[in-house]
Amino acid sequence: MNSYRGEVRKRSQNLLIVEGHHEKNRLFWLIIKCFPEININMDEIWIYGTNIYQLYNDIVKEYGEEWAEENEDIDLPFVISKKQYPDKLRYKEDFTNIVLVFDYERHDTNFSEEKILEMQRCFVDAADMGRLYINYPMIESYQHLCRLPDDDFAERKIPVSLQPGKEYKALVERETILGAQVDFPHRIDDMLEKHFGVSDAEKREKCCNEILEISSVNSMENAIENALQGVVAERVLPTVKYQLADWVTKQGYVHTNLTYWKYIRGVLKQVIFHNISKANRIQYGQYQIPENRYKEYFERLDLTEILKIQNLASKDSIMGFIWVLNTCIYFIAEYNFKLVMD
Amino acid sequence: MLKKFTLKNYKNFKDEISIDFEDTAGYQFSTDCITDETISKMLIYGRNATGKTNLGKAFVDICTAIFGGRPYVDTGVFLNADSIDQMAIFSYEFRFEDNELVYRYARFSNQELKDEELRINGKVIFCCDFENNKFDFKNLEYINAETASIDRYLQSIDMGDLGLQEPKLPFLRWLISNVALSNDSVLIKLANYVRRMLMITAGNAILRMPRRTNDSFYELLEGSNRLKDLEDFLNEMGIECKLVLQKLPDGQRELYFGHEKLVPFYETASSGTLALVDLYRRLIPKSWAPSFIYLDEFDAFYHYEMAEKVVNFFKRRYPKCQIIMTSHNTNLMTNRLMRPDCLFILSKAGTLTALCNATERELREGHNLEKMYISGEFDKYE
Repeated sequence: MNSYRGEVRKRSQNLLIVEGHHEKNRLFWLIIKCFPEININMDEIWIYGTNIYQLYNDIVKEYGEEWAEENEDIDLPFVISKKQYPDKLRYKEDFTNIVLVFDYERHDTNFSEEKILEMQRCFVDAADMGRLYINYPMIESYQHLCRLPDDDFAERKIPVSLQPGKEYKALVERETILGAQVDFPHRIDDMLEKHFGVSDAEKREKCCNEILEISSVNSMENAIENALQGVVAERVLPTVKYQLADWVTKQGYVHTNLTYWKYIRGVLKQVIFHNISKANRIQYGQYQIPENRYKEYFERLDLTEILKIQNLASKDSIMGFIWVLNTCIYFIAEYNFKLVMD
Repeated sequence: MLKKFTLKNYKNFKDEISIDFEDTAGYQFSTDCITDETISKMLIYGRNATGKTNLGKAFVDICTAIFGGRPYVDTGVFLNADSIDQMAIFSYEFRFEDNELVYRYARFSNQELKDEELRINGKVIFCCDFENNKFDFKNLEYINAETASIDRYLQSIDMGDLGLQEPKLPFLRWLISNVALSNDSVLIKLANYVRRMLMITAGNAILRMPRRTNDSFYELLEGSNRLKDLEDFLNEMGIECKLVLQKLPDGQRELYFGHEKLVPFYETASSGTLALVDLYRRLIPKSWAPSFIYLDEFDAFYHYEMAEKVVNFFKRRYPKCQIIMTSHNTNLMTNRLMRPDCLFILSKAGTLTALCNATERELREGHNLEKMYISGEFDKYE
């Protein structure tokens, strides 16, 4: 070992600040899988679970009450590492993406219009201080489409009285057409683990990936068989194979000669278009957008304005409502709009 | 203007590297970095020893090719040390109004030419293969040079050992200096451009200048308002001072800072001040406007604010001049001053990549490029 060696800097890290919910990690996992151009290595993602008001307090503790007015340069990796691992501080200069994803928790006892607005106004750049995406009413809204395309999405809203959490989730589960598609990789993984006792997570992942890469009906059974070799026991292999072949067929994408990831990429683009249209509906009153002008309309959107409108609409605890809108899916469009248009 | 420069097997550049000044990305900000749809202000970053200085030397190699004289590069190894190729290749593509001109040549070494070729608007005007003694002057009439006495040229290269400084005299140089070309000739335009190409290495300024250089500079400062102009320049860039030029009894001149007592300038000036005065001396008093300047480590001794002021000064004073700056000062990596298609990273592997091509992310005006560079956004191209 070279005696001149000091501590080596680890750059190109990514920080995902979420409320600690599995579902969110699933969505970003899917985004990174479907859009490999977004240069994020799964192993270089830090996930920090907190809620927006707790995070707000942490920022105040470090930078003072006036941080927002004074446009302080907030270093979230520092704030978080100081709290979590005080002997191993991290700084934002090592992070290429900092993304904050929070639910719009109107009913939270800590809810504060001012605080959430300040956060939305200050965290605007994922490559710098961080980008805040608030989902209305919560992350699951990205699945809240009943068909594709779904024009009723334009007016889709929920009463404030519908307490999010379980109730909204149940509603989405009933109405979504995306749920089964998005869950598919996890369903395969679950089956391998729980029904066929494949306890090696790495093996499962490799097998799942091979199955999801299948893009032709003809070679499907062979490919599945190959993927399962050495993963499940020889005697159950035919059973698993036919089960999986059935599942893949039912998903439908192989008939269009697409891999699962390519297919879901298309679905996610649809979700983005729907949510751009919806945000435009909320901010400017117009849902339909000419196909070649999505980028232009997207760039006019202002998440702070949308938050203000949502705040106003949901003020009344009985008559109030929340527009269903998912903004964290914009991460792809903001990274490079070409990814959405190809 | 220089449209594109391509280089191969020269010093640390083993593989081909090319700089395309027309490869712009249509940003609507910092438009003063672009002139006639061509990059005119470029800033290159790169880790130490990636070849920023070598690249500058390569750029101005054409000056020696066309005008001879002492090359900028007169020391060190010329060819790439890992390559088995015997020559380095230089290719310059110019645009002069409606004419496209490509001058390409290969050298065995600093002094020895292997071959050269000139194309104008896609037509090969001439090509000379000195290695195999094959010469083709088929389209000289295209540039109205059919009267050139080719025999005399061929004679002169045959007699290479009779006092000629270079064994192989480039035909282009011979053509420019021996044939009467009309003023609107594209070759005259080329010669005019190349004659006004400069490379300035700021790091050297810190070495005391030889007395003689000082003298001619002092003489120049005696001109009307010259000293005041230098003083204004220094003040404007952030160095507040008053200058006094005195003639000593022995006829020598000396420059001083004007305090209660006079303080000798060169003995006491700070590194930054010396570097700035050196820049002034090499650039401002020139009676001609440079066409191309390679400013190597131009702000090595500058405060970050002064570096920015100097860049802005270049933009104002030389709007059309193609200026390439190299720097380690990441504070200049900002859309306020530059733009992602004019900011480049030179890598250890010898690739030069504009920031806008060094990430899949779409770079926008609001992005903090400096922070992104430091956090590794472009690390695949560093």
